[in-house]
Amino acid sequence: MQPTLSLRTRPGRAVVGLAGMLGAVALVAAGCSSDSGGAAEKPGATASAGGATKVDVTLTAASGTDACELSTASVPAGPVTFTVTNKDSAAINEVELLLNNRIVGEKENLAPGLAAVSFTSTLDGGSYEVYCPGAEKDTVAFTVTGQAATSPTGSVQAVLAQGTAEYSTFVQSQLAAMVVGVDNLKKAVDSGDLGTAQKAYATARPFYEKIESDVDGFVLPGFKATDNKGNLDYLVDMRASSLDPAVGWHGFHAVERDLFGEKKIDAGTKKYAAELATNVAKLRDLATSLAFKPEDLANGAAGLLEEVQANKITGEEEKYSHLDLATFAGNVEGAEQAFADLQPGMEKIDPDLTAQVTAQFDAVKSTLKTYQDAAVLGGYELWTPQLRRTDAAKLSQSIQALQQPLSKVAEKVATAQ
Amino acid sequence: MTTDDARPDVAPDPAPAPGSGAPSGTPGEPERRGRFSRSAFLGAGLGGLAVGALGGAGGAAWARSDADAASPLPSDGVPSTTAYPFYGQVHQGGIETPQQRHAIFAAYDLTVTDPRSLQVLLARWSAAIAQFQRGRSLGAVEPTRASAVPTDTGEAADLEPSGLTVTIGLGPGVFDERFGLAGRKPAKFAKLPALPSDQLDPGLTGGDLSLQACAEDPQVAYHAIRVLSRMAQGSATVRWTVMGFGRASAGRGQTTPRNLMGFKDGTRNIKSEADFGAFVWHDGVDQAWMKGGTYQVARKIQMHIENWDSDFIGDQQSVFGRTKQEGAPLSGAHEFDTPDFATKGADGDPAIPATSHVALAAHENNGGLKILRRSYNFTDGMDENGQINAGLLFIAYMNDPAAFVTLQTKLGRVDRLNEYIAHVGSGVFAVPPAPASGSYVGEALFG
Repeated sequence: MQPTLSLRTRPGRAVVGLAGMLGAVALVAAGCSSDSGGAAEKPGATASAGGATKVDVTLTAASGTDACELSTASVPAGPVTFTVTNKDSAAINEVELLLNNRIVGEKENLAPGLAAVSFTSTLDGGSYEVYCPGAEKDTVAFTVTGQAATSPTGSVQAVLAQGTAEYSTFVQSQLAAMVVGVDNLKKAVDSGDLGTAQKAYATARPFYEKIESDVDGFVLPGFKATDNKGNLDYLVDMRASSLDPAVGWHGFHAVERDLFGEKKIDAGTKKYAAELATNVAKLRDLATSLAFKPEDLANGAAGLLEEVQANKITGEEEKYSHLDLATFAGNVEGAEQAFADLQPGMEKIDPDLTAQVTAQFDAVKSTLKTYQDAAVLGGYELWTPQLRRTDAAKLSQSIQALQQPLSKVAEKVATAQ
Repeated sequence: MTTDDARPDVAPDPAPAPGSGAPSGTPGEPERRGRFSRSAFLGAGLGGLAVGALGGAGGAAWARSDADAASPLPSDGVPSTTAYPFYGQVHQGGIETPQQRHAIFAAYDLTVTDPRSLQVLLARWSAAIAQFQRGRSLGAVEPTRASAVPTDTGEAADLEPSGLTVTIGLGPGVFDERFGLAGRKPAKFAKLPALPSDQLDPGLTGGDLSLQACAEDPQVAYHAIRVLSRMAQGSATVRWTVMGFGRASAGRGQTTPRNLMGFKDGTRNIKSEADFGAFVWHDGVDQAWMKGGTYQVARKIQMHIENWDSDFIGDQQSVFGRTKQEGAPLSGAHEFDTPDFATKGADGDPAIPATSHVALAAHENNGGLKILRRSYNFTDGMDENGQINAGLLFIAYMNDPAAFVTLQTKLGRVDRLNEYIAHVGSGVFAVPPAPASGSYVGEALFG
C-alpha cells in the first residue's frame, strides 16, 4: 500500500458526491440484510426471519463439476432467508447475492463438512444473481417478483457516508493537533534543553502516525512527483533507510537523530525543527481538500498496519529514540478509528467479518497494553534490539491476524448496495 | 537417519496398494480446465486429459501424460502432470505416496481456543488442499473486482499439480483442555519424552498442527504452505518450518537416494503392504477416528558437515555400517544384502560395528521394530558460527510413537553417528485418515 506516483500528483483524493451516491442508493431497491449463523453454526440453530421465504443454496461436486444449486429460481418480494450448504465442493468457498453487481448478502469460509449457514435479506422485486466463484457456472439467475411491503430504511451507503464524514473530522483534528505538537517541539528545540526537546518529540510523534496513509500523498506546488524535495511525506517523515542523498535529512527523524542519537541540539537541529513546523502547517492546509470514500478508510487502515509490519516491528522507524511501540500504537489507533467509522455500515454488510476485525483489534490492543509504561517517554517500553529479538514475532503475528480480515473490508464497502 | 530398520524388498512393487483405496470419483473423471484451473498452457490434446492410472501407492495418480510426452519421465519419480486425489482415499497422501523430490514441513500453534474454530480451519484447509492437489488455485488469482484481495497468492498459477500431497497432522495440544477433545486422545499419543542426545531448540519443537507438503516442484509445495499459512492467520501461527530438498528415503519402487553425508538412506525402509499394515496404519481400536491414520514424528537433524567431510572413508563407513558407493552392509557386497551382524572382520571384531547406525537401528536387533521413513535433505545457509547449516528433515510414520522413542533412545545413547549430528527440532502428530467426499480431515474427531 505504498503511495503511488499518481496519488502524489493529486493532492486530495476524488471527492465523493454524497448526494449523487444517496440518489443511486434510492434506485437500488433491495433492502437491508441481516445475518445469522456463524461460519460453523449448526443448521438447527439458524434463525430465519419470521415469515421469511426460504431458499436453499447447495454447493456440490457430485457429477465431477462444481455447481451452485438453488432450491427455487424465483420468490416473492419480502424477507428471504438463504441457507447455504457446501455438500462436497472444494472449489466453492463463497456465495454472494448480487443486484446490479452490488452485494446484497453473502457467506464466506464455506467448506465441505461444515454445518449450513444462512443470511436473510429483505428483497424488492428485480433480477438478482447468486454468484458462486469457483463453480463451473458461477452465476445463477434469481428473480424476485412484486414489491416488498415496506421499503427498506437506513441504506448501507447512507450509513457509510455518515462514517466517512466522521472520519474526515478525525483526520482534520489530528492534523491540527500535530501542528500544535510540532510547534511545541520547535520551541523546545529552540530553548536548547535536550530533555524537554526529547519529551516534546515523543508528544508530537503519534499524530502523523494515526493518519499517515491518508496524508502521505501530497506534493508541494511546483514540484514533480518524482522529486523528493517537494514530497511532503519525505520532508516530514523520511528516515535513514529512505534517505535520498540528493535531498538529505529533513523532518521528524532528522530531529530525532540529533536529540536521541547524537544527544545534542545545534543550529542544524533548530533548522530541522523550524522547517518541520512549516511543513506540517503546509500539510494541514493542503489536507483540507481531502475527501474520503468508504474504501479509502479501509485501505488507509490496511496501509497503517502495513506501516507497522514494515517499519515499526523492524525498529527502523524510531531508530534513535526506540519509540517504535508508541508510533505502533498510533498506527493501530488510526486504523481502528477508520474501521470504527465503517463499522455501522459493515455490521449491515458482513457481521461475521465485522466481529472478526473487532476481535483482532482487541487482541492487538491487549497485546500492546502489556508494553505500556508511563515512566517511559512515549508511554511504552522502548523497542530496543533486545526486546525486538524476543517479542517481534509475537507482535507481528498479532498484526497479521488483524490484517487478514481487515484486508477484505475495502471490497465489502466498495461493493455495498 | 535410521538406514536400517526395514527388510529390503528386492523386487520393487509398483502396483497400487490394495489398502489405499480407489481414486475418488469415477476413474475417468476428467481434469477440467475451468476458470479456476491453475495452468493454462496445455492447450493441445485436452480430450485425453485423464489418461490412466500411474503406478503408485497411497492413492492412484491420474496423469495427463499425453500432454507431457515431451518432458522426460523421471526414472522413479512421477511426471509433473500427476494429480493425487484428496477425498475418498483410505489414508492421507504423503505417507505411502511414492516420495516426491521436495517438501516443506510446517508446524503451527493454535491461537483459537474453541473447537468450532478448529473445525473451520481443518475444513478450509482440506478444501484448499483438494484444490491444490488438482493443480488449481484457491479462487481467482486475479479477481474481477479491483477492490478484491486475491485469495490465492498466485506463484503456482502456471505450474502443474506436480504430484503434490499435503498431509495434516494434529499435535498433542489439540487434546489439551482448550478444545474439549481430551477424551478423544489415543492412548499412545503424547509429547515425545526427552531423549538421549536431544539438543532441541524450543523454537523448532512442538506444534498443535503440522502440514507436510511434498511435490516434484518445490514452488508447488511452497505455494501450498504459504496459502495454507495465510488462511490460518487469526487461527494459528507458524511455529517452525523446514524446507526439504531431495528425498532422503526410498519409497516402494524407488532407487535409494543419498543423504547429505553421501550415504544411501532408506535401503531397508518399509515397502511391503504387509509392513505398512503391521507398522504404519492405526487400527482404530482405542479411537475409531484414527482408523487408517498414523503418527508422524518430525525431527530437524543438523549435521556437522565440516567435521564429517574431514573424516576418513574407513571411519565414515564404520559409523554407518555400510559402504559409501554401493551402500552394502559391511558384512556383504551389495546394497540389498541382508546385514549379518555375526560376520567378523579381519580383526576378529564384528564387520558391522555394534555401535554403527545400521546395527543399532536394524529390526533384527530391536525385536522386529520398523518405522516408515520419509525424510528430506535441508539447508538453511550458514549458521552464526560460520558453519554450514544443513542436515536431514527426518519424517517418520508409525502406528505407535513409542517405536520412535525406543529406537532413538538406543541411537541417542551410543550411535557413533551422534558425533556428527544433533537433533535440534522435534514434533509428534496424530495423522487422521483421508476424508470422505463432503468431509474434512479430522471431522470424525468432533462427532
